[in-house]
Amino acid sequence: MVEELTVKHFEITETARGPKQMNGAPVLSVRDLRTHFFQDEGVTKAVDGVSFDVCPGQTVGIVGESGCGKSVTSLSILRIVDPPGRIVSGKILLRREGGGGVTDIAALPANSRALRDIRGGEIGLVFQEPMSSLSPVHTIGSQLMEAIRLHTHLHESAVRERAIDMLRQVGIPQPEQRIDSYAAQLSGGLRQRAMIAIALAGQPRLLIADEPTTALDVTTQAQILELLRSIQEETGMAVALITHDIGVIAEMCDYVIIMYLGRVVEQGPVDQIFFSPKHPYTEALLRSVPNVHSEPKTRLPALAGSVPHPLHRPEGCPFHPRCARFMPGTCERSQPRLTEVGPDQRASCFLYPGADHG
Amino acid sequence: MVDTISDPSDDALLDVEGLRKYFPIHAGLSRRVVANVRAVEDVSFAIPRGKTLSLVGESGCGKSTTSRAVMRALDVTGGSIRFRRQSGEVVDIAGLSRAQMKPLRSEIQMVFQDPFSSLNPRMTVADIIGEPLLVNGIDKRQDRVDRVAELMRRVGLPAQFMQRFPHAFSGGQRQRIGIARALALNPSLMVLDEPVSALDVSVQAQVLNLLLDLQDELALTYLFVAHDLSVVKHISDQVAVMYLGSIVELADTCALFDRPLHPYTEALLSAVPIPNPRKRSARVLLRGEVGSPIKPPPGCPFHPRCAYAQDRCRTEVPRLERTAEGRQVRCHRAHELDLSGVGSMERPV
Repeated sequence: MVEELTVKHFEITETARGPKQMNGAPVLSVRDLRTHFFQDEGVTKAVDGVSFDVCPGQTVGIVGESGCGKSVTSLSILRIVDPPGRIVSGKILLRREGGGGVTDIAALPANSRALRDIRGGEIGLVFQEPMSSLSPVHTIGSQLMEAIRLHTHLHESAVRERAIDMLRQVGIPQPEQRIDSYAAQLSGGLRQRAMIAIALAGQPRLLIADEPTTALDVTTQAQILELLRSIQEETGMAVALITHDIGVIAEMCDYVIIMYLGRVVEQGPVDQIFFSPKHPYTEALLRSVPNVHSEPKTRLPALAGSVPHPLHRPEGCPFHPRCARFMPGTCERSQPRLTEVGPDQRASCFLYPGADHG
Repeated sequence: MVDTISDPSDDALLDVEGLRKYFPIHAGLSRRVVANVRAVEDVSFAIPRGKTLSLVGESGCGKSTTSRAVMRALDVTGGSIRFRRQSGEVVDIAGLSRAQMKPLRSEIQMVFQDPFSSLNPRMTVADIIGEPLLVNGIDKRQDRVDRVAELMRRVGLPAQFMQRFPHAFSGGQRQRIGIARALALNPSLMVLDEPVSALDVSVQAQVLNLLLDLQDELALTYLFVAHDLSVVKHISDQVAVMYLGSIVELADTCALFDRPLHPYTEALLSAVPIPNPRKRSARVLLRGEVGSPIKPPPGCPFHPRCAYAQDRCRTEVPRLERTAEGRQVRCHRAHELDLSGVGSMERPV
């Protein structure tokens, strides 16, 4: 029943674009992932050819504006894309624990046992809004204990103790009492901590955090980011962080993937991305972010226009109508390919040789 | 006790003093008032004409309640809100009735956070922007259409789209519609409650630029409410930091960001993620959570989370003090602490 693809012909490392600190083979390798939504109005190519690796102990950031496909990418990894959305092609390769081979999550049957073991087991997920992703009618404790029961073989008598222990680990004060609280009785920060505890219950090797701090205040955000960092340091867990916040990316990530309308426009080590961005979109995006260091009352170098509706993705390079370096006759004709533009850095732009083959 | 803030003689467009807003909590059969949520407690500030003052703080600090009280969308519990009318007359709008407030409404306008829920989906853009004109007696349809077209051009929207409905516009364009509606009656004060926080990064910059341009062209005065300190740094002349209903510090933007005087300001600034991976700095992490506005902690409301708290802070409520540079701070130890601001940094790109 478990469809394990012990795969030799997937060359995972060949295309692995080097994280600065390679802590062994990637936990997760996404290859040319395409997730499309089939609606009456047409097909939305929410994710259209995304490839990246996440290594143990590494934090990979996926950043972009609304409609860029960052969230659908994370939902695809866990196979929880709702219809009419469907993964149409690509591979999501999860390296199993202890040399257990490689599983292609994209090829597992929906609702299979194997898939359920991966969700919450090997891959944990933290959502943006803890209020709507936690059950309002179950206590924090019962939701956490359910996750512990599902993913560990602890004896029933030890489960509650483990739950209290986990709540303490994520910094919830008085965990013995809080375990019996409902989500609505906790503040936003404590709710997000509880959510993280639940995501960690199965001791995942990869944590997907989808806008984990967007709904939180800035001081609470700093606490939660610190918590994620310290957990990662302790456990060596890999983290895929999905966010629209450039500051959070700079703060947390080793490797950054920048998406625009379903496609990767640039990916590379965080330092390269911030100090030597190659794609015009990356550069414009970074420039347009307000900064606590900037001079007050000055105009920001804003990007012109807004993100087009995903149903009406422009032909050729999807960014060309807003691009300051648009080259007529080239950019609107065909889609540029991701091509090497620096050490471990790739961009999909016709400014760079190699973008126009294939 | 009202701490004096500004000379009554100055040219402030808006001068708020000792503003209080309590929400009563009723209980029992008799609906007796058992406690009050002290949403705004003794807030004072003044905004000169053509300038921007921002209220910042975490959720529940009272920044939105303050802005709604200034709009008189709420009845206030105490204090004064002196507003200089376009006629030059100064009125205390805190005590006005609904009917008395009506003629002032055109001079104080609001832009809301969420451009998706603040526009009526069944009205065309022409009707949305034109409605305040109709209400205020511009009866001829052609006059309204002309004015709507002018307003749309002013906020950077093509006027030929005026017969479309809001759903046909992107988030940034909808926020422009909201701004055009607020501008329709030539207000002097605009209350902007988180106007860019629902927008994409690239669009956020466009709307901030638009707000700066409009202020320049029309000499508008902004009361800006935001939680994002990077945005606040960009738009403000002065910043007031709120905590549990009170202003803990108020200063010129650069002074506040470079040399904060209140420990809460320091913590808030240090929590902002900096878009520079080489600048992953040590933070002043705040412990615990914001206290309850129903039963605030004794002494300084911030003391349970403050790294610099002493015995005095636990018992004695600090007064709002004015420094020589015209800054205001509510901290017992403001003069002896050496707190760090955001410092200077070159942008990576």
